[in-house]
Amino acid sequence: MTRHKRRRRRGGDDVVIPWLLSGPALVLLALLLAYPVGRMLVLSFQKLGLKELWTGAAAPFVGVDNYVTVLSDSVFWSVVTRTVLFTAVSVVLSVLIGLGVALLMRRVSRTVRLLMIIAMMFVWALPALVQAQIFKMMTDSDVGVINYLIDKLPGVEFQNHSWFFTPVQGWIVITSCVVWAGIPFLAITLNAGLTQVPKELMEAATVDGANAWQGFKNITVPILKPLLVIVTTLSVIWNFGLFTQNWVMRDGKPEPEFQTLATYSYVQAFSQNKYGLGSAIAMITVLILLGAMAVYIRQMFKIGEVD
Amino acid sequence: MAVLTSTPPRRRTRKADDGVMTVGRSRIGNLVANAAGLIFAIVMFFPVYWVLITSFKPQTEWSSFTPTFVPHAPTLDNFTSAFNAPLFKQSLINGILVTAMAVIAALIVGFLGALAVARFRFYGRRAIILVVLAVQLIPFISLLIPIFLMLQSWHAVGNTLIGVTLVYTVLILPYTVWMLRGFIAGIPRELDEAAMIDGCTRGQVFWRIVLPLTGPGLVATSVYGFIQAWNEFMIINTLNDPEHQNLMAWLMQNQTSRGTYWGPLMAGAIITSIPVVIFFLAVQRNIASGLTAGAVKG
Repeated sequence: MTRHKRRRRRGGDDVVIPWLLSGPALVLLALLLAYPVGRMLVLSFQKLGLKELWTGAAAPFVGVDNYVTVLSDSVFWSVVTRTVLFTAVSVVLSVLIGLGVALLMRRVSRTVRLLMIIAMMFVWALPALVQAQIFKMMTDSDVGVINYLIDKLPGVEFQNHSWFFTPVQGWIVITSCVVWAGIPFLAITLNAGLTQVPKELMEAATVDGANAWQGFKNITVPILKPLLVIVTTLSVIWNFGLFTQNWVMRDGKPEPEFQTLATYSYVQAFSQNKYGLGSAIAMITVLILLGAMAVYIRQMFKIGEVD
Repeated sequence: MAVLTSTPPRRRTRKADDGVMTVGRSRIGNLVANAAGLIFAIVMFFPVYWVLITSFKPQTEWSSFTPTFVPHAPTLDNFTSAFNAPLFKQSLINGILVTAMAVIAALIVGFLGALAVARFRFYGRRAIILVVLAVQLIPFISLLIPIFLMLQSWHAVGNTLIGVTLVYTVLILPYTVWMLRGFIAGIPRELDEAAMIDGCTRGQVFWRIVLPLTGPGLVATSVYGFIQAWNEFMIINTLNDPEHQNLMAWLMQNQTSRGTYWGPLMAGAIITSIPVVIFFLAVQRNIASGLTAGAVKG
């Protein structure tokens, strides 16, 4: 109702000025986002290889050939399965640990809480590339400190152990790095959410004889739910697009067992020079992500509408 | 301020009353919790500690099979050798230039856009908000193929710092608009209206009221943009040759060509991280809340 009133009062310039103001932003977004998205869609139906790239010849349309090639390739499906599996494991782990740490932060003394926050801030601030390089160094088969420490355990022989020799162990390292790097955002955001849970409510429940689990389930979780949805969706989006960690840990040449959708699309395009095929894979990736995005956008849009 | 809603207001509290429950807590439980918190902090911080001490270890020490947990003979050699490595300084300057230009461009363009969606009610406003939110979630790396082909065909900006700057500007623009929108919406509209009643024009309201009051928001937003642009390496690595790289891409290339030189590599990693860490620590409050703005109250 107020919206109509305001529009009537201010008259026609309320249409022109805002479009002028947002014009430059929209032009840039159209030029470097909308156009590339369209171009990518077209490319995914074309055959664009080195020859077309060098000669500048028009890339021939091949219909849905790229999609057929991709979807009928068992390698692609194993990449999809791996990406989904990694996303599920890493998101569940980081959200659970993040929530646990957030709850722990409510329980510890001020000094310990401060130490926890300082440690997490440093981890959070490090660039993803550096985070990955640290993990690569720590798991190095020769000088890695992880091997050294595990070797110290009684009865374990871990000298010169190669973590990336088997995919399962390699993925344990990559997942550890992603979870370690993701915990600070989750724990600190959820902790901020927890401070909004009225302490009186919890105390009253305790006095009435509720145990910790009941209080958590019936009071904390319902209040925290919107925030949990957002941070979980964000984690899904981020981890599904995993690129830097496996790229860095495999020296920019991930073996087939270490490919995710993002690296797979990149390698097909830029190493194999199959730009059409790479585009088709990227299109499929974006489509898979749309589901997760919808949840996030709806939640954010609600917030944007409020003020 | 809307952007800050998920951060609790800072208020002075007595020691016993910092929002922590006091009922039903045993002493032994507190002890266990504190010990767990301490262990968590140590485990979290260990990798950071490890990169720090590695960068100060001489080659004999970082390449030793028996790692030392405190460097025996700390040295700055790794830092000097990183600085003198080929293309390091060039990459450093390139990175600073590209990041600064992208942040300034995104700030100007984004501020105008944010002003439009925060201060005007017009047909298409919802659509603009939706576009800004949606493009934020397109994985940029998936657009690398068309962007690569595009910049290659525009010879003026292909393989230049300008080309990458354009791409980075768009990379950080959506978040810039979204965050500034929150800051502008937090300025009471009554201030604008009062100024207009006093005879200010729309332009004067902007220069004298909205812009100064958005100052802190502009700082926080630009720092976030800086971090994003500074940390990026895949786009610049794909679009440009070694002469036109930033430090991140330099680090990555250095790792692949001489992957076992951990001392200098970690020194390079630290030099690369310092600006990010400093800026990040300065605005971390806004980053967490900006990403999840208003979610709890939502």
